[in-house]
Amino acid sequence: MIKCVVWDIDNTLLAGTYLESGARPPGPDPELLGVLRELDHRGIVHALASKNPPEAADYVATVTGVPFAAAECGWGRKSDALRRIIDDLGLGADAVAFVDDDLLERAEVAAALPEVLVLLPEDAADAPSWPEFSPAVITAEGRRRGEMYAQRRRRQEEARAFGGSRDDFLRRACTEVLIAPAGLGDVPRLHELSVRTHQFNTASAPVSEGELASLHGSAGHRLVAVRLRDRFGDDGIVGGALIDRGEANDSGVPPDPGAARSWTVSLLMMSCRALGRGVLDALLAALCQRAVADGAGELRIPCLVTDRNVPLRLALAAAGFRAGAAAQPGQPATFGRSLTEPPPGLPDWATVADGP
Amino acid sequence: MTTDRRPAGSVLAELAAILGRVTGREQVAVITPETALFGGGVGLDSLTGTLLLVEVQHRFGVDVAAADLNLDCLATLATLAAFVSERLPVRDSR
Repeated sequence: MIKCVVWDIDNTLLAGTYLESGARPPGPDPELLGVLRELDHRGIVHALASKNPPEAADYVATVTGVPFAAAECGWGRKSDALRRIIDDLGLGADAVAFVDDDLLERAEVAAALPEVLVLLPEDAADAPSWPEFSPAVITAEGRRRGEMYAQRRRRQEEARAFGGSRDDFLRRACTEVLIAPAGLGDVPRLHELSVRTHQFNTASAPVSEGELASLHGSAGHRLVAVRLRDRFGDDGIVGGALIDRGEANDSGVPPDPGAARSWTVSLLMMSCRALGRGVLDALLAALCQRAVADGAGELRIPCLVTDRNVPLRLALAAAGFRAGAAAQPGQPATFGRSLTEPPPGLPDWATVADGP
Repeated sequence: MTTDRRPAGSVLAELAAILGRVTGREQVAVITPETALFGGGVGLDSLTGTLLLVEVQHRFGVDVAAADLNLDCLATLATLAAFVSERLPVRDSR
């Protein structure tokens, strides 16, 4: 359960940059202002960690009208600012969420304080509907999440003490990634992931439950669910993919017989909680192998190129995917991989179940 | 005009040290410049790759992910060192 949210100021709580706006600093981001007030009503405490002079914190408190239990303004590492806030408030790091628009700040905090829930501003906009931000509603899922945080802490402690390679640790933890055709019962969770995932999501918009359910039954498509567990715990469905097989479409129009068929992954997504556990490598390798088995010559993954999905681009690069030379930051690009070259090997912790 | 451009060799040594740190494995710091970073011996992934890029930006001021969308320069330590060395901010002392 999250008890305190630590917010960045520039381009997060404020709709702009405090210092670069002259005499009149920008106002609060309207959506996050609503989140601030709602979480405050629920008894969740707010704090600030910002690379700004201390006046910025006073300004934010004034324009939002929300109390902040702690404010760390300065130019040091954000993980140090969070440590001081956590000590001041007497909290466990696993009761703290950190929201920042900057990839580097998020990565620095995530690496130094792995128990802290690190979120993008877009994630935080959804936060009031999440069980870990809903102390009044103790759902089964909420209780399970509490247990999952405990499992994650045990896993991280052991990983830090281990010292071998990541792959050796995944084997030692008895990691199992199961990649299988999604059942209709998996559709609500896949929809939830399509809404909640941002750092590991290739689509520009969420996919509705109705759309997922109809594509689930379509011969021209494949809907895949990815499950993850190890000896520390079972995370359930942590990822998914939606594939257009590039065959005759549902209206019965045959494809050009001379053209090489390609699989197009219209949605590839993974929960950021599964980061560093070999899930994306396994999923990309499995998709390549299934596409080869289906007779496709190429696997294509359209994806907007942003500074937010750098971790996803790293996984694509590692699996041999490349975008065209014309790709530009902030623009849609298609990452492709020829399947005439041998596909990446399936890691030994992954299992691929056959389709129907 | 003079520059503070460092020889590629010292960039290479620093990158090797950073790589050892972000992967948590000291032996990774002594791999050869031609060892593949993805897969095999180093096994750079989303997490360790992001940490490497963050450290490179902090240390050298080069935003690799923005300059190389395909991240081809992460093929080996040698390709990364060359990429970073070419883009080191040049101090103009006129």
